[in-house]
Amino acid sequence: MASRRRMLLKVIILGDSGVGKTSLMNQYVNRKFSNQYKATIGADFLTKEVQFEDRLFTLQIWDTAGQERFQSLGVAFYRGADCCVLVYDVNVMKSFDNLNNWREEFLIQAAPSDPENFPFVVLGNKVDVDGGNSRVVSEKKAKAWCASKGNIPYFETSAKEGFNVDAAFECIAKNALKNEPEEEMGAKPAAMDFPYLSS
Amino acid sequence: MQEAELHDLSDDADYAASQQQGSASMIRCDSGKRSSSSEPEGAEIVFLKDNVTIHPTQFASERISGRLKLIKQGSSLFLTWIPYKGQTANARLSEKDKNLYTIRAVPFADVRSIRRHTPAIGWQYIIVLMSSGIASPPLYFYNGGVREFLATVKQHVFLVRSGEDSNVFLVNDFQNPLQRTLSSLELPRAVPAASVPSSPVSVRDSTSHENEDRTDMGVSDKSASSQYHGRQRQKVNDPARDLSIQVLEKFSLVTKFARETTSQLFREAHSHSNGFGAFERRNSNQSSLDYSHKASDDEEEVPNRSPVAPDPLEKVPYRKQNHDDEAATNVGTFELIDLKEFDKLSLVWGKPRQPPLGLEEWATFLDSEGRVVDPKALRKRIFYGGVEHKLRREVWAILLGYHAYESTYAEREYLRSIKKAEYETIKNQWQSISPEQAKRFTKFRERKGLIEKDVVRTDRSLPFYDGDDNPNVNLLRDILLTYSFYNFDLGYCQGMSDLLSPIVFVMEDDESESFWCFVALMERLGPNFNRDQNGMHTQLFALSKLVELLDTPLHKYFSQNDCLNYFFCFRWILIQFKREFEYEKTMRLWEVLWTHYLSEHLHLYVCVAILKRYRSKIMGEQMDFDTLLKFINELSGQIDLDAVLRDAEALCICAGENGAACIPPGTPPSLPVDNGLFYSQQDDEVL
Repeated sequence: MASRRRMLLKVIILGDSGVGKTSLMNQYVNRKFSNQYKATIGADFLTKEVQFEDRLFTLQIWDTAGQERFQSLGVAFYRGADCCVLVYDVNVMKSFDNLNNWREEFLIQAAPSDPENFPFVVLGNKVDVDGGNSRVVSEKKAKAWCASKGNIPYFETSAKEGFNVDAAFECIAKNALKNEPEEEMGAKPAAMDFPYLSS
Repeated sequence: MQEAELHDLSDDADYAASQQQGSASMIRCDSGKRSSSSEPEGAEIVFLKDNVTIHPTQFASERISGRLKLIKQGSSLFLTWIPYKGQTANARLSEKDKNLYTIRAVPFADVRSIRRHTPAIGWQYIIVLMSSGIASPPLYFYNGGVREFLATVKQHVFLVRSGEDSNVFLVNDFQNPLQRTLSSLELPRAVPAASVPSSPVSVRDSTSHENEDRTDMGVSDKSASSQYHGRQRQKVNDPARDLSIQVLEKFSLVTKFARETTSQLFREAHSHSNGFGAFERRNSNQSSLDYSHKASDDEEEVPNRSPVAPDPLEKVPYRKQNHDDEAATNVGTFELIDLKEFDKLSLVWGKPRQPPLGLEEWATFLDSEGRVVDPKALRKRIFYGGVEHKLRREVWAILLGYHAYESTYAEREYLRSIKKAEYETIKNQWQSISPEQAKRFTKFRERKGLIEKDVVRTDRSLPFYDGDDNPNVNLLRDILLTYSFYNFDLGYCQGMSDLLSPIVFVMEDDESESFWCFVALMERLGPNFNRDQNGMHTQLFALSKLVELLDTPLHKYFSQNDCLNYFFCFRWILIQFKREFEYEKTMRLWEVLWTHYLSEHLHLYVCVAILKRYRSKIMGEQMDFDTLLKFINELSGQIDLDAVLRDAEALCICAGENGAACIPPGTPPSLPVDNGLFYSQQDDEVL
């Protein structure tokens, strides 16, 4: 139990509604893209086994609702995260402007022990749209922001075409692993073998 | 205290036996074959009191004496009370009774409070109230020692005297932040502990094969499947009964609740049955509690499965469904009801669903001018069977309250025309926004953008909404945008498109009618989308209370596994199970919920019903929060609607007023209690 738990890396994907969080997750885990994903209500996650330096890990990728109004649920879902992925749509300026809100909201709700060094990764998604002609956020601008926030790794992706998705998630997994403390913490005690009155 | 108890004890064999046992009997208690489970290894006895006695009935001569111990293991403190073996003074009290009342290793982590009674005359006694709401029987300290008992408890656990009652000692009365969050939602005194017997109400059938089944599972100890021991000897009109009632009430909230439940269910099911009176009388005298459990070393556990506490409301269909994979428990259980009698319960439970209301039958509900003559009868009919699809357009508008039940055809037609004009006016408000104006109207642009993103991913796999440039998708967009102007404070929120989609489908793309039906629906469900999410939190809180009431073991499991926020039911509640069932079934469920026939909050009972269907899987596989969320999300498309509706109905009836008391006033879809603003606006938020 303890060893299995140590191998779990929890990743949270955040970003405005419609930037492609669900699509990125599904492209990475299932190698599938669909135009018909429904808006995520609440939260869901997918898992994927990944190998890193001869060790196997389970990457647990959490997909959350993008509307601000649902952020109060974050407390329950962000807890214990090892890495946070911030996604924006390179064709929508507002979704880029909101990255800062998402980052801050995450740090407040997840309350990681070392917020200064908590690993984030930023993805600029939908670079395929209109052959890049409808793009409004330049790579330079995005990288500048990432640099200003403690050199957050940055990737440009297309969930639809599977472009750069694997590379991005490899980086995400590595960063999550760095964050995972070596020692097992908060292990549950073994179940007690006598009864509870009220059960 | 009670006069009857003041008689001389010298001729009481039970008492004498207990005296003989004295302090030397410590070994004896521990030498039984079950000692391994009643006293954990490495445990230290920090308090021991002999002649602590319970009075199962109002007769003081009927008593079971035993030894009370506080046992320390690691940082945990446990309470045990084991009856003495040997002859009983009273032939009516059997070994079985003793077994029933035995308290084996209750952890103080689960204790909410201890109430001390120190009557001027008579014995002191204590009642232990568990966090789940269950109360122990009064434990009489024949040899005194309540003060020392409490002092010892205080040395080992956090114990404070209640500010409200100096005889109540609160255990572990510090709340974690989550509990504080939840309890902050609890309206003051709305759900006082005493009126919410969050009890393991055992309304279970016990067909004779039950024990055999369990034996087959490798469970040989029949006391494990705790049983009701019927007590038929008391007379209802016994003058001593009034006295006993008081004791009984303290005795166990469980008993009281079970009694009410029993009576209620039977009144419902057998209101004309001759046998009912006798049955009710018998039940009203029940007071048996079972604190027994199965010794773990008697069990062969199914690999990779944890023992699952039985469903206190388990019924025949569940039994059939689950008995193969549900290993009986080593967790204490309670049974109160004469199980055989409760075969009859299945009559309530098994009430079949009816075919949907059709055109001909619909006509019988209307007078010549189109008024619904008996709204309640109509709601009842729809509750049990729903509506045929071709009737939905007409009936939904009435069910949702857009048209009044007492309106005539002509009045409805008139309202339609008025409302159509009104709709156009509101729609025109955003349609008249020019591109130049929109440039300077960020909130509008963003709201529109959000809606446009969502309508193109709402039910696109249905023929009605599929394909490029589908006009029905545009209809969704226009109606949602118009609604966000009609109710600008609430605006648009994800999930609304899911709620609107079936309405547009049913209204056969009549835009204005769809809009006004959606408005009526949002009158009920709007708070689900409040910025502060309070409507959702209130419902999730009420749901947790209902589960506590209707399935205490499951509640306890959630509590131990950090699942009490019930966020895994968030999607169910936010959009009324829209993503959980196929389209037709969703519409069926909605019209049933909208009848508000048994309860405005039937949807919460539906939640409980689904959770109960999968309880043995959830607990058996020891799902943590993450696994549970995933499991629930993946139930989508797997849930048997008719079965769940039957369960929800039975649970709702079963919970009765106790269930209603779990749901704070103003919980959606009830209208808010005050007439203040429905949707609080926060300036710092855009959408």
